[in-house]
Amino acid sequence: MPLDPPKNAAAHLPRTARDDDRESERHAKQLRRLLVISFGWLLALLIGAGLDALLSLRHLDRSAQEVGRRFTARNRALGTIVVSVRVYDDQIERFLLQDQLQASGPDPSDVANKIAAVRFALLSFPVDGDSDEQVLLASMRQQLQEEENSCAVVLAWHADLRRQRAYQFIGQELIPWRTRIYELSSQISSLNEQKHAVENLAVATRFQMLESRLIWLVSLALIAGVLMSLICGWYILRLERQARQRYQALALSRLELEGLSARLVEAQEEERRSISRELHDEVGQSLGALLVEVGQLSKLVPPDDRVTQAQITHIKSVAETAVKSIRDIALLLRPPMLDDLGLIPALEWQAREISRRSEMEVEVHSEKVSEDLGDETKVTVYRLVQEALNNAATHAAAKNAKVTVVQGSDRITIEITDDGHGFDPKRQRGMGILGMEERVRRLGGTFTIESAPGKGATVKAELPLHQADPPLNHP
Amino acid sequence: MRKIRILLADDHKLMRSGLRLLVEQQPDLTVVGEANDGREAVSLAKTLKPDVVVMDIGMPNLNGIEAALQMTQTNPQISVVMLSMHSDESYVLRALKAGAKGYLLKDSAESDLIKAVHAVAESKSFFSPAVSKVLLDDYVRKLKRSGAEDAYDLLTPREREILQLVAEGKSNKDVANLLNLSVYTVETHRSNIMEKLNLRGIPELILFAVRRGIIS
Repeated sequence: MPLDPPKNAAAHLPRTARDDDRESERHAKQLRRLLVISFGWLLALLIGAGLDALLSLRHLDRSAQEVGRRFTARNRALGTIVVSVRVYDDQIERFLLQDQLQASGPDPSDVANKIAAVRFALLSFPVDGDSDEQVLLASMRQQLQEEENSCAVVLAWHADLRRQRAYQFIGQELIPWRTRIYELSSQISSLNEQKHAVENLAVATRFQMLESRLIWLVSLALIAGVLMSLICGWYILRLERQARQRYQALALSRLELEGLSARLVEAQEEERRSISRELHDEVGQSLGALLVEVGQLSKLVPPDDRVTQAQITHIKSVAETAVKSIRDIALLLRPPMLDDLGLIPALEWQAREISRRSEMEVEVHSEKVSEDLGDETKVTVYRLVQEALNNAATHAAAKNAKVTVVQGSDRITIEITDDGHGFDPKRQRGMGILGMEERVRRLGGTFTIESAPGKGATVKAELPLHQADPPLNHP
Repeated sequence: MRKIRILLADDHKLMRSGLRLLVEQQPDLTVVGEANDGREAVSLAKTLKPDVVVMDIGMPNLNGIEAALQMTQTNPQISVVMLSMHSDESYVLRALKAGAKGYLLKDSAESDLIKAVHAVAESKSFFSPAVSKVLLDDYVRKLKRSGAEDAYDLLTPREREILQLVAEGKSNKDVANLLNLSVYTVETHRSNIMEKLNLRGIPELILFAVRRGIIS
């Protein structure tokens, strides 16, 4: 049987494909999970590093600003102290020396204000927990206290006393005090600078730490990224390879399927031909001969033998019915018209046959159709027209159909139009249409159906004509 | 009396022997040969020169139609009766074009064969009654659906007369003699008939006549 091996092959193909599918699906699922996790980690790493760097930078920036601000504030406060000391110093000197210089000195309350300004400046100095600074500030306060005491005394002096003791006071008390204050403030200043340097160093250290942490994180992310790119690349390559393999397998199986259906059509045609031949030649002819013999028999039996005559008549009618059905079946399977008459008369026969059986009138129009077309071409055109007309008459309830066959130099075109209720060729594609398409494609032709609901249908086919069409086989 | 000499051509021995049985019951008929296929039939016809060839259409090597064509071309005296399973006009027309004078359906062979042989031996046509019925049915159905007129109604009584005589196989001269007309007038009538009925050639004319039951 020609059907067996293809059937097995057809059953074999999808089974392995399904197995492959299941396995690759499992692989793909695993790989996808791995990739999602890896990318998740990479993303978390990058976000973490970024956030960390951002926060640390903001913090560092704030610390550096704070350090600078404290340094500046102390410096400024120190400057204020020094300036106010200088102002007070100047005032008190002018007050003490006003008599010698014969100039009007400042008012004692002004001088008292100036020393109060020094105290205020000292109090305004921003204090933090540094003990060295505390000590220096304490001794500065001590000095100020002493000076305030002396100042109160000096301001109470009248002119004579001032004249007698001004230089002595200035030389022995004011200048040394002033010098001490300056020394103290310069000590505080250097301490301040030292502190500033230390704080700056701390900020720099923290910045370096941040830097190295960032470098580490970025390198980690980079390595992970490269690794994942490699994995992804490999995965994509694998997918591509799989797709290519799948496509090739598909193309191959389609090719096989095409060959298979071509063989199927061929086998079907051959089968029909041989059954038709058997029926027509053997059974049909035997029955025909039987009819003749029965006719002879009826003549041998005397006409007044009613019973036997009736029996013979009955035998005849049974045999006639059998001949008729055998002929109908044989014609349907393989119309001998194709071989006896050629293509166009066979098509005309078919058209009339359909008109007899159905409500559809068929018109056959042909141009330049040669009588010695290849057997395959004839059978294909015949079956095409048969199928299309059958569809038109039975499914589309058409009233009229037209078959046009035109032969060109290297091709033959067939068109079957009907005025039935049509269909949507994109959605409805029954076995009949597939069969037609297959037959046409087998001969390397083109096949189209134009139809829409309510608009009839047009089946068009174009077959190339080969020199090497197999010769006509008589059944 | 000279017997009518018959050649039987059918690829089935059973059928041939049945036909032979029928023929040989008639005193004026004799079977001179049997052929198994078309090619054999053609060569036997050449050597045996039978009066009538009774031949099946569906035969191997050379089918009956081709064989009839070759026989009637080489020897127009031979009258061919086609035996066929098919009453369709494609077959009848092909058989007529091949020069066959009779067309017999196989299932009516038993009752009509003798009539057919006698008819064609006298150069008359013979068609199984079932054939003309099928042809007429097809024609009427087509007319009804297309709404066209029956072209036969367009013919004058004289033209109908001439149609029948021509279809029966008479020559223009015979017709002219029978109807007391000039050959030229008969020719004019004939071409008018062909034009009115839209026919090309004598085979189509005979087919038309058979369809209308003018001849059988």
